[in-house]
Amino acid sequence: MVQERRILYEHLDVPNINTFDVYRQHEGYTRFEKAIAEYQPEEIAQMVWDAGLKGRGGAGFSTGEKWSFVPRDIEPRYLCCNADESEPGTFSNRYVLEKNPHLLIEGILICCYAMGIETTYVYIRGEFTLGKKMLDAAIKEAYEQGYLGENVRDTGLNINIYSHPGAGAYICGEETGLIESLEGKRGQPRNKPPFPAVQGVFMKPTVVQNVETLCNLPFIVGNGVEWYTQMGPTYADTRKDPPEPDRNTGTKLYCISGDVNEPGVYELDLGLTCTELIEVAGGLRGEEVKAVIPGGSSAPILTHYELDTRLDFTSLTLAKSMLGSGGIIVMNETRNIVDCLLNIMKFYAHESCGQCTPCRWGTPWVRDIVQRIADGEGRQTTITRPKFGVTESGRWGDTGETEEIYEDLDLLENVANNIANVDTMTWNTICVFGIAVSWPAVSYMRKFRPEFEAAIREGKLVTLPIAEATVPPEENYAYQQRFIPKEFSELQETTED
Amino acid sequence: MAFIKLNDLEIEVEDGTNIVEAAREHGIEVPHYCYHPGLSRPANCRMCLIDVYLRSSEMPERQLATGCTTTVRSAPPDKKLDGKYDIIVRTDSPRVIKAREDILEFLLVHHPLDCPVCDQAGECDLQDFSYRHGHDKSRYIEVKNIPPKKDLGPDVLLYSTRCIVCTRCIRFCDEVSGSGELGLINRGSHDEIDIPRSHEGIPIQLLDNKLAGNVVDICPVGALISKDFLFKSRPWFMEKANSVCSGCSVGCNVTVEYKADGLYRIKPRFHEDINQHWMCDDGRLGYHYVNSDDRLQLPQKRVDGELVTTQWADALAFITENLSEVDAADIVVIGSAQGTNEDNYVLQQFAHDVLKTTQLGLFGQLHGEEHKFPQFTIEADKNPNTAGARTVLGYANGNVVLEGNELWEKVAGAKIVYLVSGVPERSLEDAEREALEKVDFLIVQDVLPSAATELADVVLPGTTFAEKDGTFTNSTGWVQRIRKSIDPPGEAQVDWEITQQLAKRLGGEIDYHFAGEIAIAIAENVPGYGDATHQNIGDTGIKLD
Repeated sequence: MVQERRILYEHLDVPNINTFDVYRQHEGYTRFEKAIAEYQPEEIAQMVWDAGLKGRGGAGFSTGEKWSFVPRDIEPRYLCCNADESEPGTFSNRYVLEKNPHLLIEGILICCYAMGIETTYVYIRGEFTLGKKMLDAAIKEAYEQGYLGENVRDTGLNINIYSHPGAGAYICGEETGLIESLEGKRGQPRNKPPFPAVQGVFMKPTVVQNVETLCNLPFIVGNGVEWYTQMGPTYADTRKDPPEPDRNTGTKLYCISGDVNEPGVYELDLGLTCTELIEVAGGLRGEEVKAVIPGGSSAPILTHYELDTRLDFTSLTLAKSMLGSGGIIVMNETRNIVDCLLNIMKFYAHESCGQCTPCRWGTPWVRDIVQRIADGEGRQTTITRPKFGVTESGRWGDTGETEEIYEDLDLLENVANNIANVDTMTWNTICVFGIAVSWPAVSYMRKFRPEFEAAIREGKLVTLPIAEATVPPEENYAYQQRFIPKEFSELQETTED
Repeated sequence: MAFIKLNDLEIEVEDGTNIVEAAREHGIEVPHYCYHPGLSRPANCRMCLIDVYLRSSEMPERQLATGCTTTVRSAPPDKKLDGKYDIIVRTDSPRVIKAREDILEFLLVHHPLDCPVCDQAGECDLQDFSYRHGHDKSRYIEVKNIPPKKDLGPDVLLYSTRCIVCTRCIRFCDEVSGSGELGLINRGSHDEIDIPRSHEGIPIQLLDNKLAGNVVDICPVGALISKDFLFKSRPWFMEKANSVCSGCSVGCNVTVEYKADGLYRIKPRFHEDINQHWMCDDGRLGYHYVNSDDRLQLPQKRVDGELVTTQWADALAFITENLSEVDAADIVVIGSAQGTNEDNYVLQQFAHDVLKTTQLGLFGQLHGEEHKFPQFTIEADKNPNTAGARTVLGYANGNVVLEGNELWEKVAGAKIVYLVSGVPERSLEDAEREALEKVDFLIVQDVLPSAATELADVVLPGTTFAEKDGTFTNSTGWVQRIRKSIDPPGEAQVDWEITQQLAKRLGGEIDYHFAGEIAIAIAENVPGYGDATHQNIGDTGIKLD
């Protein structure tokens, strides 16, 4: 049985940890003091790079690398903490904000010290009223104790934190949408490049980091890189020659919800499998696992054949899904996939910011098609199209055969792919919201096609037994194309042999 | 300069040019909606997607790029592709063509099929690009959004159903007019362009700035429609003439669109140094007097205190009779700042060579207000050719061009005044009226009955800017062409022709056949106008030194 490893959440349950005094009793701010006393700013940035910390917000981009893009000769630079946790199925940042806000402040202080930043904006989701209240109180205390403001702890550093509430838009969790909203404009993502690291808040270099990423910093500084890299797998990036280590280090706050007995946030090492995770969360509620959403509602779904996938950034990417924000939703045999997709598509159609054409009008279109199928009004007409599958060469591709498919299913897949193409990973949209829409739409349809076909054929929602509802592994595009990465240490052993 | 490969063309492009413009210069169309050369580039329509090769000439970048935001820059020598190209771009690769089809399909899902009753049909980018790059049928069977039709301001209607939310109009109001009336309301597929309204839906700020009409021009579809032009004509039925706005001394380049029965609308034409892509509503909507039923069509002369219509021959004879009896010192000839350089040159020749008077004046529209916008200025001088008329009237030896009070004092003491007006809807100030009333014999050449024609002894029907060829000189010294689009009403004649006929009757040797001939004479004689022949001026004009 896998045990939780509480690092970020270690003191979460300590009474009054949100107050400065209690936080101070639990090593509070010692890591920041250590950082100032023992390291130069550049050394801290190097430590973060070496630790292999990946951004916890969704994309899993290397934090150290992101920091390296920030030009250090342009003043002022900003830190923008993304606390707009809006991905359905994700609720880990909220606990940090509500229960242990000083940890976030310490993380911000370390980041500011490392990057020479004086101003930080914490963009908090509008709905997190308690979180904002707690953070504001903590910021006030930190000012009073001299950890914020002019000349922090007589070090000559000036660091200010401002909290800013969002107005309730999903897209403001996207970094450039967040920046626009922060600047007082309509929350619509910007074109990239330029990236925020070069031109962000007020067109100045900006580091945008998720709450969880920043909360990792005190522990990297406090306990050292070596300690940190012991947690989680380090894979071999075989695209590079010679292979380079691809670190998925540290712990992750997994938010487990859905059909499990003890849903909640669990802090675990990266790299556990879905099955292990469900066990940690008190086991499945129901008979069998039908499907698992591994990283918030925008991640492609995993079927019960794919439950051995390890939940870390690299493994899930290579399994044609993503870890995203770590919001894991488990579905048992009673769940109807068409209904689930409808729920998700309603959300995305409502949240599309409407800035660019494909997303503005494609997203509601996809929703309408799914709605029609769920209402039993899917068209019975079929069309013939090329069949994709495992070809003679053993790879996924056009088999040269044709298949009959309901027109509406082809339309659903096609429209979603026109917003953002799941197979080539190209999108016609400005931001990645497009792929966040088409990933679920296409993956649900392809992996649970019998259930969609049943809904059209029967004219109503039909929940099939799992074995019938799921496309078998040999026809599952993701299963066939997935690649299970090797651990770096393993690879070295084999080369030594 | 950067050396780029665009499809199979190898072209030199200036640094900083974007791909849409570079391609346009070489005859390759990159369809686009949100991009407008005069505005910022949000790249939100996603129509101008192109394949870009940045790192290798074999493999394009994984994502398609938007042509409008991809600017060309010279690469350092070691980064050049194939050793010579700064960038390689394909606008015709299969995936670009597919991307265009897909985007067009999305653009059309909520767009109504009301082209038969839409004013934009025929000059609609959505229509054109659908035809050239789109699918032949729609796969959309769901319910369409039907947002309401909105009255935005004095001249602008919004058919929200047709809107593709390219936000050109919003950016125009933010960046060029600086008035910021327009914005988006709602979110996602319910995005609508709107003006600020109270909770009851009552407008609290109309789109009524003086540049508002430009949003109609830049709207790539038929969403923003001019009330003035609504349901008037199909674009393809109208003839077009390149001309210059006669509304003020800025001299905006315009296209006059007309049919045999009159002008239908005026649209701005690009000029980099004068008006860029814009013009003001005063100029845009100020053409109605040209079509007026009240236009002077026949000469009139005063008989027993009443103005009665007469023949040209009669009117001219009447004038020559009176003119020949008076000393040159008692004659004042007044040119018009609304007239062309050619009109004024012939008038000046008439005064100087035939009447032997050096007393000239300049008449024009009363000064209005100056309006400054972030990227546009409407000048206070409401005449298109004040600078030109002043120079052309006054160049010859001894000529004095009087204006304002000096002129009216002189007029009050004159016996005969030949006033070429052509200024529509111009009232007379008290001093002006008094001065003109004292004149024994007043000849007024005008386009509409006016305060001046009421006092006249002879009224000659002249022509407006739309009915003659010629040149205007704007306040910054640009000499530009205006072109005849429609015929003058009735027996009205081009102003310089009237003057020439008078001159001939008085034994003068003025004999021009067309405006271009006069322009050559101006080029030969008037200092500074050496290059200003019609041939040299062309469509873009030339700037005087």
